[in-house]
Amino acid sequence: MTVLASKRLSSFSDLQRMREELLSLRVPSGRSIHVCIGPGCVAKGAPKLYDLFCAAVKQSQADVQVQAKAVGCHGLCASGPIVLVQPGDIFYQQVEEPDVAEIFRETVLGGRVVPRLLYQDPQTGKKFEAAEEIPFYKVQQRIVLSQNGRIDPTKITDYIAEGGYSALVKVLTPACAGASLPLRQQGMTPEEVIAEVEVAGLRGRGGGGFPTARKWRSCRQAEGAPKYVIGNGDEGDPGAFMDRAVMEGNPHSIIEGMLIGAYAIGSSQGYIYVRNEYPLSVERLKEAIEQAKQLGLVGQNVLGTSFSFDIRINRGGGAFVCGESTALMASLEGRTGEPRAKYVHTVESGLWGKPTNLNNVETWATVPHIINRGGKWFAGIGTEKSKGTKIFSLVGKIANSGLVEVPMGITLRRIIYEIGGGIRDGKKFKAVQTGGPSGGCIPAEHLDARVDYEELTKLGSMMGSGGLIVMDEDTCMVNVARYFTDFLLAESCGKCTPCREGLAQMRHILQGITKGDGQVGDIEKLNDLAEILSGTALCALGATAANPVLSTIRYFRDEYDAHILDRRCPAKECRGLFIYQIDAEACKGCGICLKNCPVDAITGERKSPHVIDQQKCTRCGTCWEKCPFTAVLKV
Amino acid sequence: MPTVIIDGHSVEVERGATVLDAAKKAGIWIPTLCYHPALSSEALCRLCMVELDRGDWRQLVTACNYPVRQDIVVYIESECARQARCGVMELLLARSPDSQELKELAERMGVKETRWPKVTESQRNCILCGLCVRVCEQIIGKSAIGFAGRGADRTVAAPFREPSQDCIGCGACAAVCPVGTIKVRIHHDECEVEISPFKSRAKLLVCKQCGSPILSAQLCEQAVGWALAHLPHPKKAVGQAPPYWPEFRKRLRLCPKCRKLQTVEGLGVAKVRIQETGDRR
Amino acid sequence: MSQGSSLIEQIVDRYDRDVGMLIPMMQDLQAECGYLPGDGLRALAKRLDVPLTRLYAVATFYASFRLAPKGAHEVTLCMGTVCYLKGSPRISQAISNEFKVAPGGTTRDGLFTFQVVNCMGACAVAPVMVVDGKYYDGVSPASALEVLYELAANETVADKEAEP
Repeated sequence: MTVLASKRLSSFSDLQRMREELLSLRVPSGRSIHVCIGPGCVAKGAPKLYDLFCAAVKQSQADVQVQAKAVGCHGLCASGPIVLVQPGDIFYQQVEEPDVAEIFRETVLGGRVVPRLLYQDPQTGKKFEAAEEIPFYKVQQRIVLSQNGRIDPTKITDYIAEGGYSALVKVLTPACAGASLPLRQQGMTPEEVIAEVEVAGLRGRGGGGFPTARKWRSCRQAEGAPKYVIGNGDEGDPGAFMDRAVMEGNPHSIIEGMLIGAYAIGSSQGYIYVRNEYPLSVERLKEAIEQAKQLGLVGQNVLGTSFSFDIRINRGGGAFVCGESTALMASLEGRTGEPRAKYVHTVESGLWGKPTNLNNVETWATVPHIINRGGKWFAGIGTEKSKGTKIFSLVGKIANSGLVEVPMGITLRRIIYEIGGGIRDGKKFKAVQTGGPSGGCIPAEHLDARVDYEELTKLGSMMGSGGLIVMDEDTCMVNVARYFTDFLLAESCGKCTPCREGLAQMRHILQGITKGDGQVGDIEKLNDLAEILSGTALCALGATAANPVLSTIRYFRDEYDAHILDRRCPAKECRGLFIYQIDAEACKGCGICLKNCPVDAITGERKSPHVIDQQKCTRCGTCWEKCPFTAVLKV
Repeated sequence: MPTVIIDGHSVEVERGATVLDAAKKAGIWIPTLCYHPALSSEALCRLCMVELDRGDWRQLVTACNYPVRQDIVVYIESECARQARCGVMELLLARSPDSQELKELAERMGVKETRWPKVTESQRNCILCGLCVRVCEQIIGKSAIGFAGRGADRTVAAPFREPSQDCIGCGACAAVCPVGTIKVRIHHDECEVEISPFKSRAKLLVCKQCGSPILSAQLCEQAVGWALAHLPHPKKAVGQAPPYWPEFRKRLRLCPKCRKLQTVEGLGVAKVRIQETGDRR
Repeated sequence: MSQGSSLIEQIVDRYDRDVGMLIPMMQDLQAECGYLPGDGLRALAKRLDVPLTRLYAVATFYASFRLAPKGAHEVTLCMGTVCYLKGSPRISQAISNEFKVAPGGTTRDGLFTFQVVNCMGACAVAPVMVVDGKYYDGVSPASALEVLYELAANETVADKEAEP
């Protein structure tokens, strides 16, 4: 296998031959163990599992061909570590080291399932064997994530065997195709590539939702050289990790997309900007580019054509604002990540003042699929204005937290309940925050809203990069607003007055409200500040900064009023705005709370219900934490 | 040449000129703080907000850097634009309550006070307009001060917040500061120029003849270095100083007036005349 | 910094003196020295012919840069939305109280530098803490302190072993 991977491909037929050779090496009766090494599973010890499986494969005396593979994020992170066994797509969850031997013996060699490791639906109790049967996966339409879980991201041969780089070939093939290639691969001119993406209706997946084809066309038509293409892998929205899953699980899909885009635009130099907090993504991408270079898929004369394209990886320095395109470009120029005015668009004057096309890495990863299966196919999925699928990170108080890819237009209800398995711990749904710090919170009354760019904006939120943070009845929405305001203030570059001063003022007010010092008129002040921010801020960070506050005021005004007028936090989260009381019936009089109370506010005899003196109580919450009988209630 | 219609007044400008240029031409005042004709426009104070007519909607843009590339219609005195500008000014007044210049500008805009409390720290009322940073970089070429930190902690400082080793004490930063944050002080006894709040102290050289301050020691060093490197002379190839070097260095230590006098004396003519009129200056 | 100038030259040459790669250069310098030494930055500014103020601005703008030496260990706590909702502020408070270190700072005895970041991308297993690159998922104030106590204990053992 390694011999193949280092020989440079100098033509399309070379690539085709390589693919055929790789496929011929696959044994139909062979067994394959896929261990997920996505971020969630790694945190739970997946690498060790992979090592153990590799050892088992090595030591196996069985006459059946077995291999172990480390694969990218499957998406059902809450069930990690995940192990899939082929054939059959047998899905094992929460696998631990002692389980390895059993899985190998029973399933891999014996073809029998291990029931206790199968996925069980939290609501119905039903167990599932094949991954695609699990409701979490069944409702999804995995296109960009389709190869995660099947290919080893560190091996370009896997990507090629699965059909990788065939979209590139389709685009680059000159009109006079060789006899070895199918007739439909007649090559595409740059304008044809852009037209195909236009038919597809692809819109930026980073949050802006700008029509991708229009951007490419503007950049292509702009005057100036050289032209640059950039892959935005800065993924700063807290709660979002879809870009990470693509960068680490299928880096070649991004590279192939950028190659195609660069060809269409007329660029020969690309950058992928990865946030500093994703060192593994940087490593994977670097590795992938190196392998692609060796095969002649990146670099001078790609696949023997006159098209050349090089990619460089840059790491961020730790700044959320660098997800903004002009700030990212400033960072690539070795400067502080301060955005600048966009009256002259970056497609005209961007990196180093040259025409630059920036797209999110998820957008780039979608391109090969559009070229391979056609823009019309892509446009057949989704809604009228939002085509195709989108990857969302479904996290928070949800049973099946992880990454999901769904067609645009699916309802929030289906995502949260059918795919997500509903709210954890039997709690009630309260809101789902979409769009990260630039977005808003959507309440239960809009659960049947169809997820697309326009719909979410109408509801006072936005698509953003795709974070879906689910909140339950124990979440204080005022505190959520305060959290996001704090975040944005800490991440603001500080360059312009409204963002820097306006956010500081908003934080001041929200801190007051959550501490019980809210004043009548605070909401009007917040609204006024929101207006100044949205009208005068220099960049989108500032302009959308008030969204979390505005949307929570819109849908949860009662919580704000309770904080301000009654000095009470209905969700019982804001310290000091609710009290702790001991439930006399549940209390067993064990005395643990009494012993641990830092201000001796609890009294009671052993084996009798204890009582908290509300005058002395400082609401620290220690008794609530320590009580083994859940007898301390928040009221 | 595109036409800009500002609040009904029509004016033609060069393609690429800004809305602010157009307003100036039309004699209409737009308040600015971080704008200076000799420096690049960063449009970061957000004070010069005006409304741009987009047909079925209006867009708030900053006048100082919005490029006019075709015929446009702009509103300065619309309710929305006025509110935007006043909103920004109120936030600035909260940040920098003790700047007289800022208060005067606010008055001129019709903003008498701010309803916001002071929630951010400003170094002696600095509004972070960056004019000092830009003048030192773009005109003076020393970049002795720059921005440091991020967000609400952003300040203007010399590297490591130590006195700058690059400051030549020219005081250009103080000259462009619109809110009176930067002060220049000459310490005669120590022969130094102090630029506060940057703690920069530039050593001053004084005239050997009359004792008045001439230029910063740093700048002198730089001039000497430049001369050695660029002025042609026969001994350059062997790394020796040129023959006129001692004279050059002597004259460098005289103030312009004393230097002129010395030249004149050297000609041996005018000395007598000057003594007659008693007017040596 | 005796090896200072050659280190800077190495770093600058690694990136072909491309000023656009300033941030990776500074990251390499910090990886080598554990922080960004003033001398190093001065040398780098000179070598690249870029004003020192630019390097200082970059060093103080991006959260990953340190201008002071760090502790023996690196403890990073995620404060992203999901981790936050699941209690990382309490964990942060516990660490601060117990080890007398504020986020961004280093403990007095140099045991560890404590950082708080906005989202590490492992949201499904929140709250997340990383110590010297090792991930700990689903931490609580108690379990987080346990991990740190072990760090301290190991240091003491190492010191004892180092004693003659």
